[in-house]
Amino acid sequence: MTSSANGSALIEIKDLHKGYGPNIQVLKGLNIEMMPGDRVVVIGPSGGGKSTLLRVVMGLEQIQGGEVRFGGKPYIRADGRKTIIDNDVRKQIGMVFQHYTLFPHLSIMENLILAPRKVHGESRASARERGAKILERFGLGNKADAYPSQLSGGQKQRVAIARALMLDPKLMLFDEVTSALDPELVAEVEQVILNLAGQGMPMMMVTHDMWFAKNVASRVIFCASGVVVEDGPPEQVLGNPREERTREFINRVFHIRA
Amino acid sequence: MEYQLDIGAVTRNMGPLFQGLWITLQLTLAANAIGIVAGFALALLTTSKPAVLRWPAMLFVEFFRCTPAIVQIVWFFYCVPMIFNVFWGPIFMGIVALGLNLTAFNAEAYRASIQAVPREHLDAGIALGLSPTQRILNIVLPQALRNSVPVLLTNGIGIFQQSALVAIVGVADLMYQGKTLATATYRPIETFTVVALMYFAISYPVGQFVNWLERRQSYT
Repeated sequence: MTSSANGSALIEIKDLHKGYGPNIQVLKGLNIEMMPGDRVVVIGPSGGGKSTLLRVVMGLEQIQGGEVRFGGKPYIRADGRKTIIDNDVRKQIGMVFQHYTLFPHLSIMENLILAPRKVHGESRASARERGAKILERFGLGNKADAYPSQLSGGQKQRVAIARALMLDPKLMLFDEVTSALDPELVAEVEQVILNLAGQGMPMMMVTHDMWFAKNVASRVIFCASGVVVEDGPPEQVLGNPREERTREFINRVFHIRA
Repeated sequence: MEYQLDIGAVTRNMGPLFQGLWITLQLTLAANAIGIVAGFALALLTTSKPAVLRWPAMLFVEFFRCTPAIVQIVWFFYCVPMIFNVFWGPIFMGIVALGLNLTAFNAEAYRASIQAVPREHLDAGIALGLSPTQRILNIVLPQALRNSVPVLLTNGIGIFQQSALVAIVGVADLMYQGKTLATATYRPIETFTVVALMYFAISYPVGQFVNWLERRQSYT
């Protein structure tokens, strides 16, 4: 475990419980502590709670027990049957989803500037200027006035990342962002994320791409049956796992790839 | 005895038919104005959380969907004046009766369009920090309204055709004028063929426009 109790953690997840209805428990007392420099990749069998974990951290889900702290401050906690989420904290987190969730009725630029204008009250001119810069940086400078339907999957996913970055998040969540892409489009999206990682952006992601996991992660968490089974540097968890369940999973995944 | 077609019997008397068409168009446009606005309000009620708002709204929709339009119109013309002691002119009665019918069907069109907006778009809106109201105004409604246009137009042209039913309660619409003319000239074949062609001439282009619109939307 790379945990420390010095209180400088970016995200602390404590004893997180999450279920759908009375019979389906997805997260069963999950604990993670993420430091500001961490790039956490969550791996594990499907149904193990990986995506649910990211959705909870984004504040999209009700939880039944436990709490999430962000930058040392309370962020999400279960209070009886209710879930209390601090909206100001939530605004510091950005998320990109598996299915490019660009708004089809808005142009690329309008997708980018919607939240800065509505949420932060930024002027249209200033938001457009920042938007143009970030599109340029992502190699999408000529797409500002295009509509999402005119873009490839890889381009859409890069716009989705740009849209999240417009809000200067302190943490980025990536939920299987390349799973829906054609294989030849995966690299361009992964490159953008690797660049962000190089700039020190804290991130937590779910991916099935073990090559990518190895390249981007500072830490890999193997999550199964709603709990953290193993948590350590990529060389350990992907290369030489200590837990038998991790080893089985890694062998299966790499076997398929080979 | 053989029936000799005499289309001239009708073409010499187009005046009343055009007067009737004008009434029909007034009924259609006014009923659509009601249906487009009230249908939207009703859809918001049928998709709202509180049961006291949702249930009456759903009952209204189901009542109009599950009874024949002709029964609704006859009931409205004969029962409303007796029960509520109000007496409006026949055209106004026709507009309200058709408008209420269209309101129910348009509410369903709006509701389906609202619910067709992908859930992930709302999640993305939350992740971007948009408030619930901002999510509805900037993400849900623009998409839903756009998607509902073809169905609203189809319903609108449907009410144009259904409006012929008000002829049986004495509104002097196109169908009513056709019946009158057919009786006066003893030329039912010619008259009702022309009347049908007049309905067709207006419905068909709108229907084609809806097809074009749907094709165009399916590409985006």
